[in-house]
Amino acid sequence: MDPLRSYLGRLLLEEITPVVMVLTTPLAEAACRKSGLSFVDMLSPFSLFRKIDVPVRTASDQPYRLQMFKIRMVYASDVRKEDCEAVDERIKPIVSEANENALLDLLSEPPQLEDVLSKHEAELCPLWIKKFNRELMQTLSFSEHETFDHPVACLLVVSSKDKEPVSKFVDLFNTNQLPSLLNEGIMDPQILKHYLVLHDQQDGPQEIAVNILAEMKSTLGLNDCKLLCINSSTEANGIGAENSLLPYKAHGFHNQEAACSLNTDDLNEVKDFMQDLASNHIIPYMEQKIRVLNQQVATTRKGFRNQIKNLWWRKRDDVPEATNGPMYTFTSIESQIRVLGDYAFMLRDYELALSNYRLLSTDYKLDKAWKRFAGVQEMSGLCYFMLDQSRKDAEYCMDSAFSTYLRIGSSGKRNATRCGLWWAEMLKTRGQYKDASSVYFRTSNEEPPLHSGVLVEQAACCYLLSKPPMLRKYGFHLILAGNSYYISDQKQHAVRAYRNALFVYKQHPWSYINDHIHFNVGRWYGVLGIFDVAIKHLLEVIGCSHQSVTTQSMFLNDFFHFVQSMGKKFDVYKLQLPIFNMSSLRVIYEDHRTYASNTDVNVSESIWQELEEEMIPSSSVVRTNWLEKSPDLRKHKDSCVCVVGEAVKVIIEVRNPLQIPVTVSCISLICQLSTSLDASNAEDGVLIIDAGEDIADIANTKPTISAFENDENSFTASKLDIVLGGSETKSSDVIEIVEG
Amino acid sequence: MASTACFVIVSKNGIPIYEAEVGSTPKKEDLAYQHQFILHAALDVVQDLAWTTNTIFMLLHDSRNEDGIKSFFQEVHELYIKIFLNPLYLPGSRITSSHFDTKVRALARKHL
Repeated sequence: MDPLRSYLGRLLLEEITPVVMVLTTPLAEAACRKSGLSFVDMLSPFSLFRKIDVPVRTASDQPYRLQMFKIRMVYASDVRKEDCEAVDERIKPIVSEANENALLDLLSEPPQLEDVLSKHEAELCPLWIKKFNRELMQTLSFSEHETFDHPVACLLVVSSKDKEPVSKFVDLFNTNQLPSLLNEGIMDPQILKHYLVLHDQQDGPQEIAVNILAEMKSTLGLNDCKLLCINSSTEANGIGAENSLLPYKAHGFHNQEAACSLNTDDLNEVKDFMQDLASNHIIPYMEQKIRVLNQQVATTRKGFRNQIKNLWWRKRDDVPEATNGPMYTFTSIESQIRVLGDYAFMLRDYELALSNYRLLSTDYKLDKAWKRFAGVQEMSGLCYFMLDQSRKDAEYCMDSAFSTYLRIGSSGKRNATRCGLWWAEMLKTRGQYKDASSVYFRTSNEEPPLHSGVLVEQAACCYLLSKPPMLRKYGFHLILAGNSYYISDQKQHAVRAYRNALFVYKQHPWSYINDHIHFNVGRWYGVLGIFDVAIKHLLEVIGCSHQSVTTQSMFLNDFFHFVQSMGKKFDVYKLQLPIFNMSSLRVIYEDHRTYASNTDVNVSESIWQELEEEMIPSSSVVRTNWLEKSPDLRKHKDSCVCVVGEAVKVIIEVRNPLQIPVTVSCISLICQLSTSLDASNAEDGVLIIDAGEDIADIANTKPTISAFENDENSFTASKLDIVLGGSETKSSDVIEIVEG
Repeated sequence: MASTACFVIVSKNGIPIYEAEVGSTPKKEDLAYQHQFILHAALDVVQDLAWTTNTIFMLLHDSRNEDGIKSFFQEVHELYIKIFLNPLYLPGSRITSSHFDTKVRALARKHL
C-alpha cells in the first residue's frame, strides 16, 4: 500500500508540517472576534492545500512538485510544552463524551461472533479512539529535542486602527512575549517574518490601510507586507453569514452567535493570502535554508576525512553539560543537521532527511544524548516507512526509539507512547496485526488507566483483525480494557467492553471466567441503572457452587439488591436456585384407589388396566377378534381420571447447590387446562400439570404459558415455604385442588 | 519455594476437562479467574501451532524449573492415558475421578 495513502501517511502529512507563529495586536483580534473567531481560527480552514503545485528543489538538482501541503498556525503564546496534568485533563473529555454516546448501545443485544467478524477495520476502531490518539500525540508538541515543531516563520498582524502600526510590529516581536524556544537559544531566532495589516471594512474606507501598507513596505521590505480586508459583509446575520461559516463548521468550529461578518470575498482573500504565504514565502524559505545547511553539513561532516575526524576527535567542549544530557544550542552542528532533516521531511524529501538522521544517530549515541537519539531514531523509522523501504530497518529503529525513551525515565514516557502509536500504525498498514497488538499492549503499560484502557482496546481490535482472528486474545484484552475503564470511572465504556467480549466466552464451561464476566457486567449495569439487563446477567452466576462462601453471598446479595431496586414485581425465567431434581417428580392422585405406601405410586397404571379389563370392559368397542387391543386404552396410559374437588399431590426433590442457606417461599404449582391430549379427541378435559412452580413471584416456566392467575377454571394451589440449608436436599409436596 | 501454578487439560473444542491449582502459595480465591483468563487466551497462541492431537495440557507457572515441568507433564500424560483406557469414560467429558486428582496434586508437589 502506498504509504502516503495509508492512515499513518496522512497523519504524518498533517501533523509534521511547518509551524507559523502568529503574533497579533488586540485590535486585530477584536476585528476577527466580530465573527466569533480568533485570527488563527479564521485562517485555519485554508491552511490545508490539496493542490498547491509548487516546484521544490532541495539539495539535489531535480525539482519535484509538491501537491499536498499544510501549515500550522499557532499563537506564540501556545508555542510551549504543555504540562502533563493539563494535557491529561484535555484528553479526558474525548473519552467521556464517547462514554455518553455509548449508553444507547448498551441497551441492545450484545454483538455475536458473526457480526464482529464481518465488521470492517474502520468500524472496529471508532472515531473517538482515532481522535484520542491524535490528541495524545499532540501533547508532545514543541519539545526541545525535535525541531519539526519549531516555528518556520512568524506572522505579525496589526490592525489598521492601531496607532503607529510600524512600531507596533517591533513591539510584538518583543522578547518577553516570545516563546522560550527562541529566547533560550534552542532555535534560531532569525526566522522568516511576514507582516500583515488587517483592515476591518466596517471601520471605514480602505485608504488608511493602503497608506499603512505603503509605509510598511518602505520600512520593512517590499515582499513581506500584505493587506487583508475582512468584515466586508453588510449584514451580520442571515443566509450570507451561514454560507461564510461553512468552511469553519467543516473544520469543527461552532460559532455560538451565528453572526458572521465575513462574506465570500473576504474568504477568497484569506484563501489567496494563505496560498501566497505558503507557496511564495514559506516553501522557498525552507528550500533556501535546506540548501544552505546542506552546504555546511557537507563541508564539515560528509566525506571520509571528516567522518574520521568526527569519530576520533569529537569535541565536547562546546557542548555544555546540563542535567538531562548535553544541551545543544541552535548553533551546534547537530541541531543544524536536525533542522535540515526535519525541513527535508516536511518538504517530502525523505532520502535527504534519512541520511541526515542517520548521521545524527551516531553522534547522539556517542554523546549519550539519549532523548535526542531516540527522537532521531523515531524519525528515521518514519522515513523508511514513507519511502516504503526496508521494513526491518524501520521496525528496528522504532523499537530502539521506544526502548530508549523508556530507559530515560519519566520525561520520556509520553514520547514512548507517541512512538508506540506510530509504530503500531506502521505495523497495521503492513498487515502485521499481531505485532501491532503487542506494541499497543507495551505502550499501555506506561500510561495512566484511562489511556491504557483505550490502548488495550486497540490491541484487542488488532487481535481480531489478524488472520486467523485470535478471538480469545480479543476477549481477554477487552476484559482488561474494561477493568481499566472502570478504574478510571468510565463506567459505560467498561460495560461496553465487557459486553463486546461476551460472545467469546459464551456457552463454555470455564466457570470462573463466566462468573467473573457476568457478575461484573451485571453489577455495572446495575450501577448504571439498567436493572433488567443486570438481573439477566446475575442470573447466570447465582447457581455457582464452586466459588467460596463469601463470593456466593456477595452474588446473592447483589442480585436481591437489584431486584429490589427494580421497584416492582416481575417475572424471571431460568432461575438456577434452588435446583429441582426433575427425575424425582411424582404425581399422586387421591382417588378411589388407595395405595398402601408411596412406593406403590411408581407402579404403572397399565398393569392394573389389564387386570381390570378382564373384569370390566372399559369401552364398548366392537372387536373383531380378541387379539385386537382396545385402542382407547393407550391414550390414557400415563394420565389418570380425577374428580373435581380432588386433591392432586406433586412430590419433588429440591436441592441447594450453595453453601449458604436459602429461604424459598410460596412454592406452588401452575396448572393449565387443555382440552385435548395428543391426537385423540377425548371429551373430558385433561389436566396437564407442568413442572412449574411459583417462588415468590419468580416463575421457573417456559414463557409459553400465558395465564397464571386468570385461568378459566380456577385451581386452588397450596403454597409451600421451605428453608434449605447449605447443600441440603429436601423432598417437598405441593397440593393442587381442582375446582369448578 | 512459593510458586503459583495452575494446570488445565483442554479438549479439542476448548472445553476444559480438568483443572487444578497446584501451586504452593496459599490459595487466593480471586486469582483463580485471572489464571483461567490467561490460560484461555493462551489457547489462541497454542492452537496457532497446528495442534494435531485432540487434547492440550497447559500449565501456568512462574518458576524456571523446565526439567521439572517436563517430567510433570510426562507423568500426568501417563495418568491421562490410564483414564482413557477406561471404557466407561466418554472422551471429552470432565474427569471427575478423585484418584486422578490426588495423584496429579502429588506429582505437582514432587516436580514443581
